[in-house]
Amino acid sequence: MTLLLDLQKLSRTFGTHTALRDVTLQVPQGLVGLLGPNGAGKSTLLKILMGLIAPTAGTGRVLDVPLGGDRDARDNWRLRRLIGFMPEADALVPGLKGIEYVALAGELYGMPRKQALRRAHEVLTYLDLDEARYRPVEDYSAGMKQRAKLAQALIHDPPVLLLDEPTSGLDPSGRDKMLKLVRELGNLHGKSIILSTHLLADVQAVCERVVIIAGGELRGVGTVDELCARRDDRFRLRFVGPKEPFETALTAAGLISVKHTTPRELRVILPPGRSTLELFQVAAQTNVSLRAVLRDDVSLDELFRQATAPEAA
Amino acid sequence: MTNPTDHLLRYRPWKGELNPPAYASVAMARSSLRLLFRRKIFWALYALALMIFFFFFYGQYLVVWIQLLTANQTVTFGAMPVRVGELTKFLDKLNLNGSPHTFGNFIWFEGYITMIVLALAGAVLVGNDFQHGSLPFYLSKPIGRRHYVLGKMLGIGAFINLLTTVPALLLFLQAGLLYDWQTYYTDNVLLLLGILAYGLLLTVVLSLLLVATAVWVRRTVPLIMIWSGLFVLCRTVAGFLVEAQNFSPLWRLIDLWNDLYLIGLWLMRADVESAKLGPNPQPWQAALVVGGLCAICLLYLRKRIQAIEIVS
Repeated sequence: MTLLLDLQKLSRTFGTHTALRDVTLQVPQGLVGLLGPNGAGKSTLLKILMGLIAPTAGTGRVLDVPLGGDRDARDNWRLRRLIGFMPEADALVPGLKGIEYVALAGELYGMPRKQALRRAHEVLTYLDLDEARYRPVEDYSAGMKQRAKLAQALIHDPPVLLLDEPTSGLDPSGRDKMLKLVRELGNLHGKSIILSTHLLADVQAVCERVVIIAGGELRGVGTVDELCARRDDRFRLRFVGPKEPFETALTAAGLISVKHTTPRELRVILPPGRSTLELFQVAAQTNVSLRAVLRDDVSLDELFRQATAPEAA
Repeated sequence: MTNPTDHLLRYRPWKGELNPPAYASVAMARSSLRLLFRRKIFWALYALALMIFFFFFYGQYLVVWIQLLTANQTVTFGAMPVRVGELTKFLDKLNLNGSPHTFGNFIWFEGYITMIVLALAGAVLVGNDFQHGSLPFYLSKPIGRRHYVLGKMLGIGAFINLLTTVPALLLFLQAGLLYDWQTYYTDNVLLLLGILAYGLLLTVVLSLLLVATAVWVRRTVPLIMIWSGLFVLCRTVAGFLVEAQNFSPLWRLIDLWNDLYLIGLWLMRADVESAKLGPNPQPWQAALVVGGLCAICLLYLRKRIQAIEIVS
């Protein structure tokens, strides 16, 4: 199966500043989350993927189409037609009605006028904007604006959707609705989706894979489960009894305690070769009653913070 | 229970041939015109422009009618007998006779409305793209910067032609019908081409200038101020320097509309010496100024409209 992204030692510099450094990445088709703090190089990567700027070094392909980069060339048009882009900015054309806005997007992608108009009706109906299609886009609510932006990205039925902060400014129900749509487009309609967001919960809710970028370098790539499974044996202990002596005893026994704020809960890492039985022994010595010993999964949030911390570089 | 219309809500794939990027420019021009015609102010200004057209249209008819039928007759005007031909002397300045100056004068007067329309259109068509973040919408599509600029220029150009070239062509058609049409049309083929070339010149220069200034200032009021500065203040200053201070006629070159008018007269093979607001520089000097201005606009647009802005 053709890879969604196949990047080889991709670099991009702006003067003396290196925005991306030797990014090598193979990602199969599917739902991919692109994570990174501000200034990580995420935007530069998006621009390169859309053929808006060229990499300084390295090569890459999106669904087997080579990256072009800001050239008025046939390959670059091919690349951009593969991708439906939903920008983070408002990106609406004030004065146009919803149907005209989406149909114009279709024509900009190169669709014939009548087909663009017919398809605009279909897409707006699919996105539940059929009743608002004859209203000016600037009068839309935040949720409707986001769906109109998704509609203009979907108009030419691209195999890849690049969504930049699709839930930005939405209330919880609007956010759920948008994430459901994105999931449906990926899972039921076979779209490959690159979701660029700061909201880890969105990535966790929608994406199968995550690409983490920080400081212009690739810090992690894999499925959400794989990445979250990268941990030592870590446990969450629920207990009744004095916390401080228990924590001190655990540390003295070489069972590393992880900082945690909940008063009746502790998180510990068992070094290799140690057994969970020792937890009960230490608890008995300090008159603590253990109520639960649970596997402590690393959340995506934690993983992101670990991966993007300066010392992780 | 399944609703019978549920299938309509499902996503349906699309297969079809996609046109080359140049078609996108046409679509942009069409939607630009739609945006303009949706605003009542443009209809009001267009009505004003039509009044100028009708003045020339009926004026041309009136002059011919008076010359042919009543020129030698006299009417009593304030107890004094006056020849009818004398009453239309004030129209002579407008040259309402189907000559190149008729069309030059017509476009000159339409210029006042055109300037106001363009100042407003710039904010609607281009300024909004920057102010409301519509630029990513356009530039994330498979089109280049040149297609974006071309699309906007086509839209603006179409409106400029509706105000200037199209009515001028109607006047040309009317002039032929008022005189011996076969002789007029065959003798004035070059004049017709000149009108079309003048229209093309106005389209290219004004739309380019408008896109550049709208990209620069974006909002309506500053845009009107810039255009007023360019077309009113510069004309006043040029007039003061050349006429009151007896400076070189080259100072008239700062009046852009006059530069375009001089080139237009030259294109229509009219006598430039008899142009309005004399003395004037040579048309080639005006062409140099206009060409330089266009080059500056293109360089500015190349620098300012960048696809890189799409992803913030």
